[in-house]
Amino acid sequence: MTTTRLRGPHAGPWGPIPAAAFLALLSGLVGIGLPFVITAPTAMTLMTQGTINAILATSVGYLIRQSGFVSFGQASFFGLGAYVTALLIKSAALPFAVAVLLGVLLPTLFGFLISLVIVRVSGVAFSMLTLAVAQVFYEIVVKWRDLAGGDDGLSVTLPATFIGIPSSVFQTPTTMFAICWITLTLILFLMYCLSRSRFGMLCSAIRDNEERARFIGYGTLLPRAVIFAISSASGAIGGVLFCLYNGFVSPDILHWTMSGAALVMAIVGGAEFVVGPALGALVYLGVKDALGNITEHWQAIVGIALIIVTVGWPTGIAGLFNTLWKRVRAARPA
Amino acid sequence: MITQILNGLVYGGLLYILSVGLVLIFGLRRVVNFAHGSLFMIGAYIGYSVTARAGFLPGLVSAVVVMAAFGVLLDVGVFRPLQRHDPLLTVLVTFGILMVLEDVARSVWGKDYITVAVPAGLDGNASLFGVAFPIYRLMVIALSLLTVSVLAIWLKRSAIGLYVRASSADPLVTAMQGVNTDRVSAMVVAIGAGLAGMSGVIAAPLMALSPSMGSYILVDCFIVVVVGGLGSFVGAFVAAMFIGQIHNFGIVYLPWAASSIPFVIMIAVLIWRPTGLSGKAAT
Repeated sequence: MTTTRLRGPHAGPWGPIPAAAFLALLSGLVGIGLPFVITAPTAMTLMTQGTINAILATSVGYLIRQSGFVSFGQASFFGLGAYVTALLIKSAALPFAVAVLLGVLLPTLFGFLISLVIVRVSGVAFSMLTLAVAQVFYEIVVKWRDLAGGDDGLSVTLPATFIGIPSSVFQTPTTMFAICWITLTLILFLMYCLSRSRFGMLCSAIRDNEERARFIGYGTLLPRAVIFAISSASGAIGGVLFCLYNGFVSPDILHWTMSGAALVMAIVGGAEFVVGPALGALVYLGVKDALGNITEHWQAIVGIALIIVTVGWPTGIAGLFNTLWKRVRAARPA
Repeated sequence: MITQILNGLVYGGLLYILSVGLVLIFGLRRVVNFAHGSLFMIGAYIGYSVTARAGFLPGLVSAVVVMAAFGVLLDVGVFRPLQRHDPLLTVLVTFGILMVLEDVARSVWGKDYITVAVPAGLDGNASLFGVAFPIYRLMVIALSLLTVSVLAIWLKRSAIGLYVRASSADPLVTAMQGVNTDRVSAMVVAIGAGLAGMSGVIAAPLMALSPSMGSYILVDCFIVVVVGGLGSFVGAFVAAMFIGQIHNFGIVYLPWAASSIPFVIMIAVLIWRPTGLSGKAAT
């Protein structure tokens, strides 16, 4: 997408929002239209999974972009969202829609509460804290067989309808792709608007120099906690969609290698840009799948590609597009 | 009870030998090396293959030498070119190395678990404080104590040790004093990687070999390094021994919570003192 264009030098704080809204609308239409064009179910399945991963990667990238904090444990919110939803559906104590809602709200609340403590710590220590929190959840899920099924995971049968809509839409690749894609678009649009708002500016100021922002007279704890909570919410939404789509959750989605993969997607895509992490996730999964069909050594090839891309192009795929776009614009007579 | 404490020392000792490499690398390069667990894993496999052909000692030596050489490559090829960039990029590269090394292990040695016998001559039991305890495990404790002592003497007494400590404190000022910090750090990364290889070989008879063994122990190492204080050698030793005890007593007395307790401790320590127990200024 062309976020680059929206970040033009003459853009005022609210100027590019209509353009972004237009792009978001366009992207939404693509999401609805694409399933009619691509009819192969395997391709749709892959793209649905890619979009769910994109939501997770976006949550990691957003945290980096807005607060400078690097989370090594983003899988905790993704996994929590998925497990909360799965457990609530299984217990059947609450309506389906409430289960989905709580699947997003509980991890968000949890993220907000822990962030009040953990954002006081910076740098490597912050990353390690998030890693530890995520691993605690991983261990709980693995050990607590009665509640969460341990290593075997939990399979969930969705109730027949979701506020009147048949639940099969969540498990059919074509419809679920549209749902996930539109959700991703909305998240990206809202994040973009927020980063352009007064609040977003304040967060950037805190990211660049927390002490100075505090000195000017701003409280710096709450904005950072809110950013963390938004990032948690996005991760949790990804987890809930994962649970609904697969009808199955397992501890793998809480393991630190999952958080690591999300971080890789975000940085490879370009965490400086709103759409970068999502782009990274789609490319990552696409490459992984394409290689997986050819060779069983996909992991080594992805690893080598990761090393080369990181060393050769630190601003990521979105950064590459940005540079190319600037060159095209510079070459064009004004 | 005594057996539990001894077993805790064994695991703590192993963790120390592995973690001190991470501490060394972090101290000099300010890099969280995600590939460290993979060095441990590859070291274990190399040790296993060489031991099968030539015996335990050649296995140990070859694993250390190969991993140390890999460490030099790692420093020259990755850490040095990337030192002026965001440290996050280096973390990502080490993540890539982890993926590659796991795949290498899977291709060469297969993905099934391999159990390794205790080397001949070390397979008996010894009586200690009235309990029988495997000689091999005692040797692991002895080896970790030896590593602690040698490293401590080297760092405190030798000129290079001084350079290492100085570079850890401030690489720039140390370089201005005429110390070739690049050479120091290549050496330090080599030692760290070599120790990772060594701990892999030692650990092999105590745990089954698998390509993912590195990813599992890596997280325990992070706990040790963080709790001990990033970049602190003494802190890492205390933390490793502490986590070793917690690990073993947890498994015996609180099996359902055993694996979470170290993380809870890590979270508590980081919130209480973000720079770890040794309190050295880091991050």
